[in-house]
Amino acid sequence: MHTSPTTGSPVEPLFRSRAPRRRILRGLVAAVVAAPLMFGAAACGDDGAATGDDKVKLSIFWWGGEARAKLTEDALALYTKKNPNVTFEKTWQANQGYFDKLATLTAGGNPPDIFQIDDNYLAEYAGRSTVLDLTSYKDSGKLDVSKFPKSLLEYGVVDGKLAGVAAGENTQGLVYNKSLLTKNGLPEPTTGMSWAEHIAWAEQVAKKTKVPGTQDPSADYKALWVWLRQQGKDLYKGNDLGFDEADVTRWFELWKGARDRGATPTPDVIHEGNSSDITKQLVVTGKSATSWVWVNQMPDLKKNTKDELGVVAYPGDPSGQWARASMYWSVFKGSKHRDAVVDVINFLANDPEAVALLGTDRGLPSNMDLRAKVSETATDPAMKQSIAVETELAAKFGPSPQVPIKGHSKVKSELVKAAENAQYGRVTPAEAAKQFLAACKSAIA
Amino acid sequence: MALTTAPGRTGSTRSARPHAPRRGAGRNRHGEGLAGYVFLSPWLIGLMGVTAIPMLLSLYLSFTNYDILTPLSEVEWVGLANYERMFTADPSYWHAVQVTLTFALVAVPLKLAAALGVALLLNRAWRGVGLFRGLFYLPSLLGGSVALAIVWVNMFNRDGAFNSFLAIFGIEGLPWVNDPEWALETLMLLAIWQFGAPMVIFLAGLKQVPGELYEAASVDGANRFRQFWHVTLPMLSPVIFFNLVLETINGFQGFTAAFVLSNGTGGPVDSTLMYTLQLYIAGFTDLEMGYASAMAWVFLIAIALITTIFFSTGRFWVHYSDGER
Repeated sequence: MHTSPTTGSPVEPLFRSRAPRRRILRGLVAAVVAAPLMFGAAACGDDGAATGDDKVKLSIFWWGGEARAKLTEDALALYTKKNPNVTFEKTWQANQGYFDKLATLTAGGNPPDIFQIDDNYLAEYAGRSTVLDLTSYKDSGKLDVSKFPKSLLEYGVVDGKLAGVAAGENTQGLVYNKSLLTKNGLPEPTTGMSWAEHIAWAEQVAKKTKVPGTQDPSADYKALWVWLRQQGKDLYKGNDLGFDEADVTRWFELWKGARDRGATPTPDVIHEGNSSDITKQLVVTGKSATSWVWVNQMPDLKKNTKDELGVVAYPGDPSGQWARASMYWSVFKGSKHRDAVVDVINFLANDPEAVALLGTDRGLPSNMDLRAKVSETATDPAMKQSIAVETELAAKFGPSPQVPIKGHSKVKSELVKAAENAQYGRVTPAEAAKQFLAACKSAIA
Repeated sequence: MALTTAPGRTGSTRSARPHAPRRGAGRNRHGEGLAGYVFLSPWLIGLMGVTAIPMLLSLYLSFTNYDILTPLSEVEWVGLANYERMFTADPSYWHAVQVTLTFALVAVPLKLAAALGVALLLNRAWRGVGLFRGLFYLPSLLGGSVALAIVWVNMFNRDGAFNSFLAIFGIEGLPWVNDPEWALETLMLLAIWQFGAPMVIFLAGLKQVPGELYEAASVDGANRFRQFWHVTLPMLSPVIFFNLVLETINGFQGFTAAFVLSNGTGGPVDSTLMYTLQLYIAGFTDLEMGYASAMAWVFLIAIALITTIFFSTGRFWVHYSDGER
């Protein structure tokens, strides 16, 4: 380059444009430095403006399918129609990965103003400074829960704080393939059957139809929970477990017996059904005559099979079951629009039109007056069925247990691990129970 | 360096200020350095913001009880507690280590063997060899894709395509992906099947082996096997080394397939609980991000150690034809 004969022509343009170039560079540097400052400033500006009562945009996040999204969007649109200054930024996704996303949003300092949560995580969030305590709103009447059943309201209380408002009520349901039973002239299961009777019935179904009679629910915390309550125990007591190793051993042995009698599917099929995914429940994939679900999942299950489905309570005394908040609406403590957010939740729970729109997708409406109305006007057969079962069970429910404690999600996954270990025959029920207890203790420590 | 700045200085003297050449040159050099940084800035900002700062933050968090939900300003310093727990009180951690080591020890050598074997076959001048090269490379284009993992899970189900194939021969297959004894092996098979990337590199390496070496060897009476052993392997050893290091690191980091196969749980019964999956579960499901950060750092150090071991043993078996490097 330096040997160029034409008087340094290759370098010349560089210098002719030096001054503008430097200006450009300076501008670029300034832009790079200033950009974050400007964004920061913009964010600050937003803060200031939003505290006023003018235009408010609330972010809301829930899990569920498309049907739920449609209903929820309609209800929120109704709110905006009645309160034109409030609009929503709606985000929803499938259950799997929902809590990862919610945790990440929270960590990023950007959680939604309103979010859907369930009892698996309520204590985790309430125990930290993430969720707004709604007690004062309840007391001042801004959040009207006077029409809620007392037990349902209390199932949203963690450490004396109202951490979530029940978006609906559900309970455990044993769903069975009605078509299969009728075709083979077999009796349908009934509420109040004992566990032994249930297993004997499942064995009979398996022999006659070649379809395993019942999904083995030993890995299912909600089945274990009902069973424990029927023995006078519980899943949790205070900050400790409400059961011991001997209880879990008996639970695992009960189902080992069922497997040995051929009442359940093979371990790999049980494993498939242990997924929380509705489309993989064995009753809809045709790999078992029953599945262990929540009653409000009936319409969704129905969409995944051509067969007719029925639903009853889990075996044993139905007082082991309770009116569970299927999910809650909770408010982010750092939300800049707390009053507006509480008003939206109040609307979703108590406005007759909104509740009519939402139907029983999140469970029976929490407001008892409106629940009666929705029950009268329901037309969808699967919805009617789940309403009928829940209404029938409501008279037999036991008291609500405490909301599961911190570490519950780990306890759930450890139960799956231990139960499957026994199902695959790698350990005895007693060994599996021992393994489970040890893991639980470190999970809730 | 001197060559590139020299014309600049002459240019500067010629253009404006003949009385102050040095100052002008200095400013100019400064300006070019700045320009360099400005043009680098997208990458630098990316490196700092997306990699370096989060990494350092995670190092700090590994000494805290950070749980994602609590604001960073309120986390508590717990010293070495996370590391202590990992090494002394968490059986599932050691299980994950064992699963990952098993996976890497089996899948990586087999994958490299498959890659080398196919590369040797495709190194000949057949008709349509290009097509085959493309076809064999195809699976690795799909890389760590979720779609591929889903296909794999469905193929190796109890009622999947693989068992239908076995049924032709009257063999009753197992529920491979849902069997704790076989789930990890199914994942290994997926990893081995994606041998395209190292295969292409092996092919390039084989093309570099001078033909006269084979001629000389055959003149000396070496058969095919001896030619492979005494010519191909030594000449290919730098490429083998490169592939071994890369694939080992890749093998340790396997995540997607295990996540998809087990719905993010590492099941059935922890059989696919790869290290990265265990880390993910600790951080995002159990909300113990401080503990997960500690795991990540131990993982980083372990991989660095293994790579160092490879490099230090390399001199005994890696042969560079252009003299010692």
